[in-house]
Amino acid sequence: MSEVAVKGAVKRYGSIAALDGVDLTFADGEFFGLLGPSGSGKTTLLRSIAGFIELDAGEIRIDGTDISRIPVHQRNIGMVFQNYALFPHMSVAENVAFGLDVRNVPASEIRERVGESLDLVRLTGLEARRPKQLSGGQQQRVALARALVTRPKVLLLDEPLSALDKHLRQEMQVELRRIQRQIGITTIFVTHDQEEALTLSDRVAIFNKGQVVQAGAPRTVYQWPVNRFAAGFLGEANFLEGKVVGVLGHEARVAIPDGSEIVVTHQGIANGANVLVALRPEKISIEPGGSQAPRLNRVIGRVQAAIFSGSSLTYRVSVGDRLFVVFEQNKNRAPLVEQSAVTLEWETADNVVVQP
Amino acid sequence: MKRLLDGGIRFYLVLVLVFLYLPILVMALFAFNKSPLYALPFEFDLVWFRALAENDKLLKAGLNSLLIALANTVIATSFGTMAAVAFGRYAFRGKTLLQALLFPPIAIPWLVIGTAMLVFFFWTARAMGVPGMARGLHAILLGHVALSLPYVIFVVGARLNDYPKVLEEAAATLGATPWQVFRRVSVPILAPGVVAAALFAFAVSFDQFVISYFLAPPGVTTLPVEIYTSIRKGFTPEINAISTIIIAVSMGLMLIVARFYRFGGERSGNE
Amino acid sequence: MTPTTRTRWAILTLTGPAYLWLACTIFLPLLAMLALSFLDKSPLVPKPASFTLDNYGAYFSKGFYWPLTLWSIQLGFWVTFFCLLIGYPAAYALAKRIKGRWREAIFLLIVLPFWSNALVRIFSWTMVLRSNGIVDMSVQAMFPGAPSIDLLYSYPAVIIGLTHSYLPYMILTCYIALQAIDDSLMEAGRSLGATAFTTFRRVVLPLSLPGIISGAALIFVPVIGSFMEPRILGGTKGATLGMNIEEQFTVTANWPLGSALSFILLAIVLIIFGILYPFLRKQGGEA
Repeated sequence: MSEVAVKGAVKRYGSIAALDGVDLTFADGEFFGLLGPSGSGKTTLLRSIAGFIELDAGEIRIDGTDISRIPVHQRNIGMVFQNYALFPHMSVAENVAFGLDVRNVPASEIRERVGESLDLVRLTGLEARRPKQLSGGQQQRVALARALVTRPKVLLLDEPLSALDKHLRQEMQVELRRIQRQIGITTIFVTHDQEEALTLSDRVAIFNKGQVVQAGAPRTVYQWPVNRFAAGFLGEANFLEGKVVGVLGHEARVAIPDGSEIVVTHQGIANGANVLVALRPEKISIEPGGSQAPRLNRVIGRVQAAIFSGSSLTYRVSVGDRLFVVFEQNKNRAPLVEQSAVTLEWETADNVVVQP
Repeated sequence: MKRLLDGGIRFYLVLVLVFLYLPILVMALFAFNKSPLYALPFEFDLVWFRALAENDKLLKAGLNSLLIALANTVIATSFGTMAAVAFGRYAFRGKTLLQALLFPPIAIPWLVIGTAMLVFFFWTARAMGVPGMARGLHAILLGHVALSLPYVIFVVGARLNDYPKVLEEAAATLGATPWQVFRRVSVPILAPGVVAAALFAFAVSFDQFVISYFLAPPGVTTLPVEIYTSIRKGFTPEINAISTIIIAVSMGLMLIVARFYRFGGERSGNE
Repeated sequence: MTPTTRTRWAILTLTGPAYLWLACTIFLPLLAMLALSFLDKSPLVPKPASFTLDNYGAYFSKGFYWPLTLWSIQLGFWVTFFCLLIGYPAAYALAKRIKGRWREAIFLLIVLPFWSNALVRIFSWTMVLRSNGIVDMSVQAMFPGAPSIDLLYSYPAVIIGLTHSYLPYMILTCYIALQAIDDSLMEAGRSLGATAFTTFRRVVLPLSLPGIISGAALIFVPVIGSFMEPRILGGTKGATLGMNIEEQFTVTANWPLGSALSFILLAIVLIIFGILYPFLRKQGGEA
């Protein structure tokens, strides 16, 4: 299939840079999630690849060919839009057939391929319906069938699941993944739903202010965020500011404001340096009682709030003058009461030094 | 209590409808009444329609009105749709100003616009050495198109707004050339709006009196101008006959628009 | 051509014809008339004209024009008032009390006359209002021997005819505004202890104000410039500014004076818009 390479992409609107020097390569057959807050440039990049936006600088290559000057309709891409953009004046079958029809594919072949395509998205039998007569999930499937029937080189998805309710969204995530695997198409996927991006993608890229903050496998990006933005945007994180008070090999001891010390592993960290450490809430274990002896990676605090949400609990714990967020699985223990003293503890490996 | 209230509401609406339709019905009644002096009792006769059929002046005026309305419909609908497409599909500097300029033709009294046209056309025609060109059917057509354009742009624009640009983008990603996008997606989607706008433009022109009145030279008239002249000369049931025809036709036209909109599924918000 | 210049050409080609047309038939004529209103001779006179303020001076110095203007404004006020009085309850009933197919049918019946010729509808009133007309006959039938009623060629005739002409506008704008008000807002009002009337006054009325205001603007402006309607229904009674302007162009051929009067009329319209606009803006922002 196809590899898409973006190099030095820049797009400005007045003084605002929607894309500010983006380099990304989307490997053949990869499911790639573009993630970021609104206005971060992810949609601009997707629309540039589609051909709706002309870059001010940089280039986009599909299989090595620069497509910057090729108009949208000759790029051979498939795109699924946020609200599906199904043609209201055409039936389901006509919608799916459209891309073949405009390419003058013979009628018999069109019928066959539309059938296959609807089969792929499991919509056989609804050919004659109008888009308005379909549920949101069904419309989504039609949009997908329509985008895939022309056998495009790349599939672009612009927040395709955001209009669906939660249950349907999860069902469609599984479907999307199945279909993508089945035909092995390079897929670029824009979303602001971080969970969705982590679930679906082989790799993700986090965008902020027109730049790629971090790209990589979901697990890597989640485990090893490079900076405060990446750590905070993908999942929740506690941020600890501290000063290095001792270095031994790859380990450094960091004093944090409440007086405790934590240990971080990091290359080339200097004594006396200020560091920022990100700590995921689910890595912290929480135990009742605040009388344990001081230890590295251990702090004493007081429960400010305990929020019950079914499978898990979220605690807000004050430690000195800052709040820690702690997730705990809902096991057999009774929830810790508010205002009670607690001990928080975690492993050295969970302390991730990030750029501010 | 509630039933009484509902009954009162229905009765009130009926009264309003009576107020709206009574004069029109009375007028139509006299069109079919034999007496030339609008005298009762009612005696059914088609004498005034026969007289109308022989009234060359009124018929000529009617033909003029029809021709102008048709030409106006074609011109205003084409140019108006083009402008609406530009507004709906492109973002550009000066767009807000251009859209704001559509309000004066609607908001300024026709009397002012009509007399202003007369002045300007007179000066222009004299400057070109053909003072006779200031007034006439061509001048009336110029004026009617100007009044119709804003309505066409609004009606088509509303339709365009309902159907976002993304449909055209989707077609392009599926491999449709710009021409295919236009023919297979834009046109079918715009069609109901354009048809409604065209009927609108026709009605605006066919109904227009004030502008035509100032731009019609002696001897050349449109139907409303001719009717006005006849009314001022003294009433005749022939006017009732032609008026009845006009009203029947224009209401019929409007009913078509209403049907069109409903079956297009566009009339939202009623339920 | 680069895509941007191509886009620019597309925009120019698409908007050009419509706006060239509007320039030649609306904006340049208005400028021409403004210029003419400062000239001392009609273009019909084959002599060179020079600058003068006399046309505007005549309006302010001659007592003749003031009553015309006053009656035009009064006419606008009365017609707007009656349209609101009759139209608002009808719009309310239609938007909030009638549902389903009936609503659609009555709505269509109300806007339908609006599409038939305005002149013809005014003409139709002459048959209702004149002596021996429908009003007169009904009164005679109910009260035999009552004095004959001839409303034609009177002030009320003009007001009735114009109210009839413009009533659908008011119903339409108020209906749109009222329909946009969520029923739950009224329920919220009632749940907070307000009576039905208080809820109407404090919730529904303010929220439907934009509809009332735009309806008023749509009615006031054309009524103030009307000349055909007062002439047919009012006869010699109740000359309006519009009638006088028409005469300057068609009878006395004093175009410069007519132009000046037109611009005074336009100024009145602008002042009315200026007064109404803030209401529209303020309320529109909330809706």
